[in-house]
Amino acid sequence: MGAAGSKLEKALGDQFPEGERYFGLENFGNTCYCNSVLQALYFCVPFREQLLEYYANNKNIGDAEENLLTCLADLFTQISSQKKKTGVIAPKRFVQRLKKQNELFRSYMHQDAHEFLNFLLNELVDILEKEGQAAKSDPETSSPSEKTANGPKNALANGHHKDPLVTWVHKNFQGILTNETRCLRCETVTARDETFFDLSLDIEQNSSITSCLKNFSSTETLNAEDKFFCDKCCSLQEAQKRMKIKKPPHILVIHLKRFKYIEQLGRYKKLSYRVVFPLELKLSNTVEDADSEYSLFAVVVHVGSGPNHGHYVCLVKSHNHWLFFDDENVEMIDESFVQTFFGSAQEYSTNTDHGYILFYESLGTSNKS
Amino acid sequence: MINSSNGMMSTSSSSATAQSPALKTYFKTPEGRYKLHYEKTHPSGLLHYAHGKTATQVTLAHLKDKPAPSTPTAQPSSFSASSGVRSAAARLLGASNGSRALSFVGGNGGSKSTSGNGRVGSLGSSSSSNSMATTNFDGKGTYLVFNVGDAIFISDLNSQDKDPIKSIHFSNSNPVCHSFDHDARDGHDLLIGLNSGDVYSVSLRQQLQDVGKKLVGAQHYNKDGSVNNSRCTSISWVPGGDGAFVVAHTDGNLYVYEKSKDGAGDSSFPVVKDPMHFSVAHARYSKSNPVARWHICQGSINSIAFSTDGAYLATVGRDGYLRVFDYSKEHLICGGKSYYGALLCCAWSMDGKYILTGGEDDLVQVWSMEDRKVVAWGEGHNSWVSGVAFDSYWSSPNSEGTGETVMYRFGSVGQDTQLLLWDLEMDEIVVPLRRPPGGSPKYSTGSQSSHWDNASTVATLQPAPSMRDVPKISPLVTHRVHTEPLSGVIFTQDSVLTVCREGHIKIWMRPGVAESQSTNNTETVLSSSLKEKPLFSSRVGSSSYKQ
Repeated sequence: MGAAGSKLEKALGDQFPEGERYFGLENFGNTCYCNSVLQALYFCVPFREQLLEYYANNKNIGDAEENLLTCLADLFTQISSQKKKTGVIAPKRFVQRLKKQNELFRSYMHQDAHEFLNFLLNELVDILEKEGQAAKSDPETSSPSEKTANGPKNALANGHHKDPLVTWVHKNFQGILTNETRCLRCETVTARDETFFDLSLDIEQNSSITSCLKNFSSTETLNAEDKFFCDKCCSLQEAQKRMKIKKPPHILVIHLKRFKYIEQLGRYKKLSYRVVFPLELKLSNTVEDADSEYSLFAVVVHVGSGPNHGHYVCLVKSHNHWLFFDDENVEMIDESFVQTFFGSAQEYSTNTDHGYILFYESLGTSNKS
Repeated sequence: MINSSNGMMSTSSSSATAQSPALKTYFKTPEGRYKLHYEKTHPSGLLHYAHGKTATQVTLAHLKDKPAPSTPTAQPSSFSASSGVRSAAARLLGASNGSRALSFVGGNGGSKSTSGNGRVGSLGSSSSSNSMATTNFDGKGTYLVFNVGDAIFISDLNSQDKDPIKSIHFSNSNPVCHSFDHDARDGHDLLIGLNSGDVYSVSLRQQLQDVGKKLVGAQHYNKDGSVNNSRCTSISWVPGGDGAFVVAHTDGNLYVYEKSKDGAGDSSFPVVKDPMHFSVAHARYSKSNPVARWHICQGSINSIAFSTDGAYLATVGRDGYLRVFDYSKEHLICGGKSYYGALLCCAWSMDGKYILTGGEDDLVQVWSMEDRKVVAWGEGHNSWVSGVAFDSYWSSPNSEGTGETVMYRFGSVGQDTQLLLWDLEMDEIVVPLRRPPGGSPKYSTGSQSSHWDNASTVATLQPAPSMRDVPKISPLVTHRVHTEPLSGVIFTQDSVLTVCREGHIKIWMRPGVAESQSTNNTETVLSSSLKEKPLFSSRVGSSSYKQ
């Protein structure tokens, strides 16, 4: 694989970014779902930097217990500290740990990249939260606003669940949605906040991400079988419901629901719809601050015509170059090549490579809040 | 975490994939129904893998009676009468400019009462005698020039024949953009830009007279990409430019050529010093062609359009900026950024007061030259906006009365497969509907005082407006016209033309036009053509066109 690496190095020439490493990941039999997501996370620079920092700070605390967080940190450190600029690395420990941890990923079946991303982020958060609790040798007595090892606590507006710790994973990926329900009888608006690590969007043929986001936030009427219990009226009432983004995340992860359950078929089907995604994006369905701009930096692509088989690859933007990661292989691609992963306008098409998870980073400086 | 449970799969009821609900063959507007009159496409045998990379663009081309060098059409009076109309559909994805209006108003001096006859008259000689093997062509008429894959196709607009009358294949690279000059003095009136960066100028008439499948009598510029090897994106004759034309490329450069010179002269340009900023370099030798290079922006220039009089050139590109230049002075006058994402298309109003742009933020943007800012956002597309055009043939119903309100009609097409029509009534949106306190438009500091003609080299480019600062307008009509993403829209006197990326063109007759001209045949044409039968080639009712 050294040859492929040198090809990439040649292609980049003296434009090869200082200190950057472009390594392919070995596939251990259907682990492309994992490889594609790991590449996207590696090139999520704030996440990578904080993970490496965490690793640097914690590696001395004895070789305590191996978990997914330490395995991931180990892998990222391994990549970033390579002498060579390009090559291939085997994420062996990480994949073993993943299979140990979750039986879902244990088989050699085709796995869903989004499910994996979700599992991984939640797992990382759990581990960090546990460590945070443990660090506060005296748990539950301190006031909620007290600082923890991982930063200030940020109580949610309606904290009926225990004040969760705000870890650096939260700071990168977490956004807050607000679910507004307006009773059509008494006009009372009930707002409920939910946190999210990614937005799962329904898709339509020949649409754009902008349009899918608009639909996500469109007003829905609850009536007939599906009425809303209004606390004020103390009865079921017709109501209008809509989802708005209250706090946009720093890293916006958009998952396109390309796998849809078709009742007549009794199984899932892949939607190959053409859904265009711009390289820059703004969220107009926010409660405020609608004009902060995001820039696309990674796309996890599902290759294949069905939900139960296929392949995953990852497109990554690093230092203004676009790279194509396909397990061991890394290639440079032209920005316009990204457009070939939008999907197909016709149902039966030979093009089966479709953008599945999009990673946008905020260009604003709102990371600090 | 709402995404933890079953965020992955969308459980939905039975509504499987209502992929393509049947397309309607008409759409309603306040002034009446627009009906699908006929379609144009390419031979269906064309391999599809060539698609996708190149989107079809259409240029409307009118050939006059004879290659008459000094016809009365050049008279000042008739020229001015038509020039207003010319910008009409001043462009289709930047392809053609100044090629349209005369085609319909032509020799008749633009009066409405005669235009119907003029149109039909031009058909007589062309409709029935043309076929794929055209010989002894000396006719006149209005033609559609469009690219699909590695070929340029030419169709007779006024014949109902679905198949083109001529195809020209390129062996080296795919044609991607074209432009037609309706008042070219000498032979060459058609420009073709290629994926490889190469450019050709030819005589359309000569192509129609030839029976082969190759370009004939062509002049070749930027041979093998010797000056610039990045893809051509948009090409245009300079209106009134005496054979000058400009070609835009994906690397942010635009070149000025003169067709009177051959392309052989040495024309190297210095390296662009500052890729972020606009700069113009002239060729060092008088024989060089191209004669100048304009470096416009970083990233691709996606589309260009000249104002009707040729004084101003608008460009839009990957960086999301609309830029307006004084063409002869080579100065940047003004411009601004999209809400977000690249801009893909632009078009001028016939009076030069407004520019439409469309792009990756799904918005149709109206730029005012007077105010030098975005004055309206059209919301209605569900995907990227790929084509925009003013309807210069449309006159607002109340325009005779008050004379105060200026109404514009324009159209836009998008990758959502929809055609949208819009009315823009200027005094309605002059005052933003929801202007926040202190939210007056922000100008970036700099040469704020620069006037139209006093533009300093560093003109003001406006940042992206805030969502609440721009008045929104809604479409009058939303109509799904194709099954594939669209790539362009053109208004003619009698119709609206829509084209999709894969090379299917639909011609929608304006209210009243279709009925009066081919009542008896419309039904048959529609029913057979809608099935997109490749075999549909029988000349249904071409005779009915002759009144």
